[in-house]
Amino acid sequence: MDYLLEGLIKALSLLLNRDPETLAAIQVTLKVTTYSMAASLLLGVPLGFGLGFFDFPGRKFLRTLANTLLSLPTVLIGLLVYALLSQQGPLGSLGLLFTPLAIAIGQTILALPIVVALTAATIESLDQKLRLTLLSLGANRRQLLLSILWEARYGLLMAAVTAYGRVLTEVGISLMVGGNIKWYTRTITTTIALETAKGNFALGVALGLVLLLLAFGVNFSLMYLRRKW
Amino acid sequence: MVKPLFEIRDLFHAYQGKTALCVDHLVIPQSKITALVGPNGAGKSTFLRLLSFIEQPVRGKILYQGKTLRLFEPATRKIVLLPQEPYLLRRSVFDNVAYGLRIRGQKKGLRKRVYEALSLVGLAPGEFAQRPWYALSGGETQRVALASRLVLRPEVLLLDEPTSGVDAQSAFLIQKAIVEAQKLWGTNLIIATHDWDWVSEIADTWFYFAQQQVWEDIPLFIPGPWQKGPLFWVRPFRDGASLQLEAPRQDSSGLAVFSSKEIKIYLQKPDKNFNVLDFQIFKVSLNKKLGKIFVFLSREDISLVLESGAGLSLYPGQKVWLSFPERAQKWL
Repeated sequence: MDYLLEGLIKALSLLLNRDPETLAAIQVTLKVTTYSMAASLLLGVPLGFGLGFFDFPGRKFLRTLANTLLSLPTVLIGLLVYALLSQQGPLGSLGLLFTPLAIAIGQTILALPIVVALTAATIESLDQKLRLTLLSLGANRRQLLLSILWEARYGLLMAAVTAYGRVLTEVGISLMVGGNIKWYTRTITTTIALETAKGNFALGVALGLVLLLLAFGVNFSLMYLRRKW
Repeated sequence: MVKPLFEIRDLFHAYQGKTALCVDHLVIPQSKITALVGPNGAGKSTFLRLLSFIEQPVRGKILYQGKTLRLFEPATRKIVLLPQEPYLLRRSVFDNVAYGLRIRGQKKGLRKRVYEALSLVGLAPGEFAQRPWYALSGGETQRVALASRLVLRPEVLLLDEPTSGVDAQSAFLIQKAIVEAQKLWGTNLIIATHDWDWVSEIADTWFYFAQQQVWEDIPLFIPGPWQKGPLFWVRPFRDGASLQLEAPRQDSSGLAVFSSKEIKIYLQKPDKNFNVLDFQIFKVSLNKKLGKIFVFLSREDISLVLESGAGLSLYPGQKVWLSFPERAQKWL
């Protein structure tokens, strides 16, 4: 169990000495997760809102579908995106395979059902009296929509945090469509996988701790934001 | 000629095929405090939502100062509804009260107006403005909700059961605030309530809601079971007394309707005893503004409200006799 303590010390030393390989992995991780989170929130919040707010035929089916896609395995997403982006695939000509963008696309597919399902659940659980209250105060369509989203902000934040936790820690997609290319598509999780395979446990643990630290940083800032609201 | 505040024509509204309200014609005058009284489920809340144009009726017309309006039309912003069971937005008291002004783009003197509205409902601005929405009692929540409407200085304020679930002190402050709003800005008040005592002190026009309809006089309902003959229907009571009425001419579900004015009230058992039933008074409500007394009576599973002149001395617990005509005014 020595490598746990060793890993902790190593983690600190990697960060304090600004180890270029580690920093590059952190940078790539932050980059692809930012892309995928932005895309999944931009697509997922409106979709989830529509699913939670409006009543239309097929709504229950779509809700069930979104909930089912919550258990989409990362290797399956990796496989699908690989098939799409590979030379023979329909989007092969774009030359996106083994780029950070390819990882971001895969991660967006991973995060989207989480954002959609949790946004829909949040909107559904809002008090029925909210709509009447906003209308009774004279809100127009746009104000109604924005105010409802604002009332649901804690739930939306939770959806974003959950989705972020998922994309930050996934390894299947990054490995399969990113290719684990040093300085380019190597993320923290793919480095851990590689270092473990090499028997370099301490470095793996160290990077694992860096990942947790990153997650803590994000959640802490969001918590602070929430207190301010 | 002054146009009426609201005119309702051939209104019909339903939820999922179930009738919620049916009004042939109704005029609500300007510059009055209008009371809509009646039991739960009579259609009062539906009526207020329709008057606010938040909901559109299935059929019929609602004219506001001679015009029909639709939801999201700017003119509907002059009509403000305080829904039953207050709901506050997840923000501070100040931001709740300021919300309506902000979405109207009226940012000038915002703070002053919010403070003024809070004072009007008896909440000290210094103490309450920065409180979060969850740190309020039921009565305070209702008053913040009211302040959020009063701050808009609406032309019409529709209040749905404003005193349900609040204590006597809050009920008094709510009454004071809305009367003040009427004096200050000429706000027309339309109040749906089952609190006859509370609304008696302020209302000058009354409409009675029951059975998804509006009645000009207080309606009295005698439900079945009826022993149905070809000429007469008899309503037996457990104590052996009975009421005999002419059979309805059309098909009826068995609800006999009388007008309060058709029923005579006796303090002693009258000599004539056809269709005379004894009732017990459970509540008496004085309406100073109209110079009337509302008498709430019950017998077995039936309860009625009667209008009486102020001449009789009536008190809760008293036994009185009511004489019913042989023919119901109508049957439902």
